Amino acid sequence: MEYEIEEKSAPGREKVKVLGATFEEGRPQGEEDGKWRHKLETREEKLKYLETGERYWYGKDWYGSEKRKNPA
Amino acid sequence: MTEEKKKKSVDLASMALIDKASSDQVNLVFDRAEEMKPCPIGLVGSCCSNCGMGPCRVPLPRGKEETPEEKRKRRGICGATAETIAARNFARKIAGGAAAHSDHGRAVAELFLAAAKGEAPGYEIRDEQKLLQLALEWGVEIGNRSNSEIATQIGEKALGEFGRQEGELLFLRRAPLKRQELWRKLGVAPRGIDREIVEIMHRTHAGVDQDYRNLLQQGSRAALADGWGGSMIATELQDILFGTPAPVLSQVNLGVLKEDEVNIIIHGHEPLLSEMIVATAQDPQMVELAKAKGASGINLAGICCTANEILMRHGVPLAGNFLQQELALVTGAVDAMVVDVQCIMESLPDIAQCYHTKIITTSPKDKIGGAMHIEFNERNAILSAKEIVKVAIENFPKRGSNISIPKEKTDLIAGFSHETINYLLGGLFRASYRPLNDNIINGRIRGVAGVVGCNNARTTHNEGHIAMVKELIKNDVLVIQTGCSAMASATAGLMVPEAAAEYAGEGLASVCEAVGIPPVLHLGSCVDNSRILMAATAMVKDGGLGDDISDLPVAGAAPEWMSEKAISIGQYFVASGVFTIFGVNWPTTGSTEVTQFLFKDFEEMYGGMWAFEPDPLLAAKLMIEHIDKKRKALGIDKARERVLYDMTMRRELE
Ligand code: SF4
Repeated sequence: MEYEIEEKSAPGREKVKVLGATFEEGRPQGEEDGKWRHKLETREEKLKYLETGERYWYGKDWYGSEKRKNPA
Repeated sequence: MTEEKKKKSVDLASMALIDKASSDQVNLVFDRAEEMKPCPIGLVGSCCSNCGMGPCRVPLPRGKEETPEEKRKRRGICGATAETIAARNFARKIAGGAAAHSDHGRAVAELFLAAAKGEAPGYEIRDEQKLLQLALEWGVEIGNRSNSEIATQIGEKALGEFGRQEGELLFLRRAPLKRQELWRKLGVAPRGIDREIVEIMHRTHAGVDQDYRNLLQQGSRAALADGWGGSMIATELQDILFGTPAPVLSQVNLGVLKEDEVNIIIHGHEPLLSEMIVATAQDPQMVELAKAKGASGINLAGICCTANEILMRHGVPLAGNFLQQELALVTGAVDAMVVDVQCIMESLPDIAQCYHTKIITTSPKDKIGGAMHIEFNERNAILSAKEIVKVAIENFPKRGSNISIPKEKTDLIAGFSHETINYLLGGLFRASYRPLNDNIINGRIRGVAGVVGCNNARTTHNEGHIAMVKELIKNDVLVIQTGCSAMASATAGLMVPEAAAEYAGEGLASVCEAVGIPPVLHLGSCVDNSRILMAATAMVKDGGLGDDISDLPVAGAAPEWMSEKAISIGQYFVASGVFTIFGVNWPTTGSTEVTQFLFKDFEEMYGGMWAFEPDPLLAAKLMIEHIDKKRKALGIDKARERVLYDMTMRRELE
């Protein structure tokens, strides 16, 4: 994807360049448009996504707020 | 429009049809509610009819303080106190609600297993990722096994959850660790779904459990078996079979009906048959048949949660919510109304006689006198669906001249499953609840509210939902919704991204704009309240907002509740740590102790508690106060000043 650079004013400083929004604009128009899960095609991709995207439950090294020695 | 009619609904389309019904001499739910006042003793939970010596009535004395002696005597024939009676009635409501959601879950699990074994033609695994997710979670081997092998084992495990006798439900492990420990400590971790419901029915039988606290704890156990059991199984297995919802644009309100097309309304709660009707209505053969009968096509629309299910996955428009089911018939333009289970008014066949509509029941569990019955057979679902669509098409030429379709319809975006929210917030490579938590911590978003539940003919249709939701988003509270409540907000135009600029506070609007989401998110049907539990758990697990759901700045509400399912939902939210407020009326006010136990003592036990406030604006205020209390406890009550760092400033920091 193409990154956009925006100019913003920082407190007590001149204008600075920061990385702009990285979301895709627009809204879904039909049933197919919003179906992001189709982007994951193979079983490996899906399992990888579960490990990272849904890491709260399926990540191997994710504890988040619940870092503890003994599981509940 | 008379003042009296205005009070029945705030929706223009509904008001016009209420007027039409009156001139067509059709008796509606609104008329019945006016003609019959609620029984004041049953209303407060003080009537017991659990045995043949009763019914016994034990209401609080009116207009005076009760002496201890009077209180001692205020009992049923069997000796049951007003506390026991109120708690038994409340627990039985939970059992009714949990049974409804869970039997829905069971029906899905049965179809799922049949589909996995190739015994349900037309059904297939549409979301492999979610199948793998459950396999990881339930210890089902993935390896090189086929989806049907994995699904068969998952289906068997899912069905096993209903009849499980000991241990704990598998989905409880999804909850925050601290919450799981609390449930175990309190002895409310459900063992099996059916078991907890049956145990309520046993313990509320005459002469069994006569300690209101003990009864209400079993209420929590059965409710948790609904939210983290039956409902969650329904949601997850439906996602695997029909697809996990993703954003989809559609429309809502009775104006979605079409004068020149065959209108079929799908009403009820289970999407099993309606998924097939969606496919059948697009079949070129069926469309040709409709044209041969003079229609220009086939138009599907939904009512209640079956509608939400097919909206979330296919963008099928919503004709309306619970109190609009009779009104849809009054348009004179509905050729068939297909119903499955739950929230279906028995008055429909009677009203249909005044027009031409065919009311078609489809479930062996749900037959209605005067309706036509075409049984849904999962082994031959396409055939059932075709038969139903044909009945509607054949009925199109029989429409009378008394047709009036309101023009009102509003755009909405639905499809916000937990998975989609996670994806939208972070993207495919860094899906995360972090941006939500960060924006709650920095104060742009004050908190999150789940506003759910029914309509209730004792209060103005949709008024409570819309007023509450507008008040919440104005105060920077992100609102997530399900059920009829979601439909109410959608009719008011709150479920499109543009609503952020118009109705939301500055902070919430800025986040909605950046992410491209509406300030009010549609998460689906009533069983999909389980998605709210998942979203709340993800917020906890992401970190920075405490380590349990009860630490989060969140609140729940059902401003127009009426069904036992709503009570079960409320109880599992409370037992999961959420402050939950209901409107209209409260079914335990006949006992001060029981009400105090649910409203106050529960907070000490669960960190979440019930509240009752019929005024939606005051209720929203209480929710915001609770959110602020949680923000204070987390130390994030003062919004932080935003500083934009560039690289030089970052280096200076190091
Ligand atoms: S169970 Fe007790 S309170 Fe209830 S109806 Fe029978 S005698 Fe009356």
